[in-house]
Amino acid sequence: MKQTQTIKLAMRAIGMNKMRAFLMMLGVIIGITTLTVIVSVGKGASAKVMKTVQNFGANAVVVFAGGGKVMGPPDEKVNTLTMEDAQAIMQEIKGIRSMDTALIRVSRTVKYEENNTNTAIYGGTVNYGDAWEWSTESGDYFTEEDVASMARVAVVGKTVVNELYGSTDPIGTNIKIENVNFKVIGVLAPRGTSPMGMDMDSRVVIPYTTASRRVFNTPYISLIRMAAVDPNQIEKMESDIAALLKERHHIQAGFPEDYRVRGASSVSKMAKGMMGTLNLFLGLVSLISLVVGGIVVMNIMLISVGERVNEIGLRRAVGARKNDIRNQFLIESSLITLMGGVIGVLVGLVVSILLPILSKGKMPAMLSWEPFVLGFIFSVLVGILAGLHPAKKAAEMDPVIALKG
Amino acid sequence: MIDLKDITKTYRKSGGMEVKVLQGVSLKIEKGEYVAIMAPSGMGKSTLMNIIGCLDKPSTGEYRLDGIEVDKMDDDSLSSVRNKKIGFVFQSFHLLPRTTALENVQLPLIYSTDELDMNALASTALEEVGLGDRVNYVPSELSGGQQQRVAIARSLVNDPSILLADEPTGNLDTASSTEVMSIFDKLHKDGRTIVMVTHSDEIAQRASRIIRMRDGKIVSDERRAA
Repeated sequence: MKQTQTIKLAMRAIGMNKMRAFLMMLGVIIGITTLTVIVSVGKGASAKVMKTVQNFGANAVVVFAGGGKVMGPPDEKVNTLTMEDAQAIMQEIKGIRSMDTALIRVSRTVKYEENNTNTAIYGGTVNYGDAWEWSTESGDYFTEEDVASMARVAVVGKTVVNELYGSTDPIGTNIKIENVNFKVIGVLAPRGTSPMGMDMDSRVVIPYTTASRRVFNTPYISLIRMAAVDPNQIEKMESDIAALLKERHHIQAGFPEDYRVRGASSVSKMAKGMMGTLNLFLGLVSLISLVVGGIVVMNIMLISVGERVNEIGLRRAVGARKNDIRNQFLIESSLITLMGGVIGVLVGLVVSILLPILSKGKMPAMLSWEPFVLGFIFSVLVGILAGLHPAKKAAEMDPVIALKG
Repeated sequence: MIDLKDITKTYRKSGGMEVKVLQGVSLKIEKGEYVAIMAPSGMGKSTLMNIIGCLDKPSTGEYRLDGIEVDKMDDDSLSSVRNKKIGFVFQSFHLLPRTTALENVQLPLIYSTDELDMNALASTALEEVGLGDRVNYVPSELSGGQQQRVAIARSLVNDPSILLADEPTGNLDTASSTEVMSIFDKLHKDGRTIVMVTHSDEIAQRASRIIRMRDGKIVSDERRAA
């Protein structure tokens, strides 16, 4: 039998009962839509993870004061990390290219003339630029003399500039941090979002000494940031630093640590873990929809075979072989699921376009060709698997009995 | 052309009881004959028709169709024999709904392995039954007699060796019956071989040979002058 004829026959059979065909497609549509969204969101998410790791610093290792599992700057009341810890790490741990120690306070008021904004104050060392691999967009970082003399100089982030200055050049102007006057000497290059989703450009960097004695009055530091010579050594450095601090802070086995060590690899693991949960959930939705959709297709095909017993008998009488009948029903079920698949991919792409807009960027998605291939394979597969039993039943029918039915 | 030798057919009922529907039927039908098979219901005439039409296989006995031993063929080969040599006409027409007369008539051709001009063949067959102006009508737009004529056109389209008609007027009123029977008369005159099952004497009188069956056996075989 001619294949074009088989397809034409199947199209007609589908066209004869459009509502039924749509119901048969529904599960496949949902399944393939979800599958498409998984792929798009997955791609968007892994791009975001890459960006996050890059923002964090691909060869960075950071020690935060205070324990716990999360990322981000520590609570202000945590007084566990000292400059001595930083010096010990510098001496004991190999492979550190550069180290910056910092005293951080989040959400402090910064004023310029009549404007003010809330931002993070970052008391750092002259190694700030090197350790963060972060250059200035205009102006410069402070110098060793500035640190030694507790100079009141500040390097401001892009967001701060936007909120305080608008289009005015901030270099050379005076700002007030916690009512202390600072002179702006540089602007940081824009950096984007941190792994925790914080705006890294909302910060003002001042000398550590000034922050410690003139502004916040504390000898403790919030974090130590290091750039590794070799990114492949980061995991080893993380565990070595953790071991060293455990010993220095006299943490007994079984007691919680009062510091956190994070490297690029653990950051990417964490970011991927968050996406992984979402993907697992969507994957299950897709799988269940496809299985349920397949069962629906099989049931309706069985009903259809039952209704078309006469037709099957007639076709057999005029010369259709068992295989012709089997193929007719198989092609019919796979055509229906394929149509469902095509609709699913299209709906999925629309959802993938809308998701980032509706979630305001929290759910990134990337359009790609993979959903088309996956949608084709999975929808046809469901159609064939669901059609096998009904098609076999139709093909094995005794033509004599089928003609009477 | 049709050569049945000592054909039996035994069915096993669900209770395990065996029912002998045909009990040794021997029959020869030559090319161009118009044969009516008559029997009361359940006396084996439909089974005999199904065996002649290669839809069913005999339990024992030999069946040669155009010299080919069809009783030994597998299912696919029998499908091919039905496609090339047999034309079926059924009591209930068996037309595909929402499908035009032309496409209904083409149905046997799509299962043929030969390269055929399906539209031309189907149109010719429809003209032969006097429905040349109804090619694009669907069954629901046609009268019972017209529907049966479409079915006859379908049985002719592959130029079969025999036409097998099972109570072709059973679902028709008198006027439509006459209309359909006159088509068979014409086909007989054109030299077609026709085997028809009926229990109407009036219909059987049109045939050139009447075979009567009872209890799975042929009880009389009467040739008549045309």
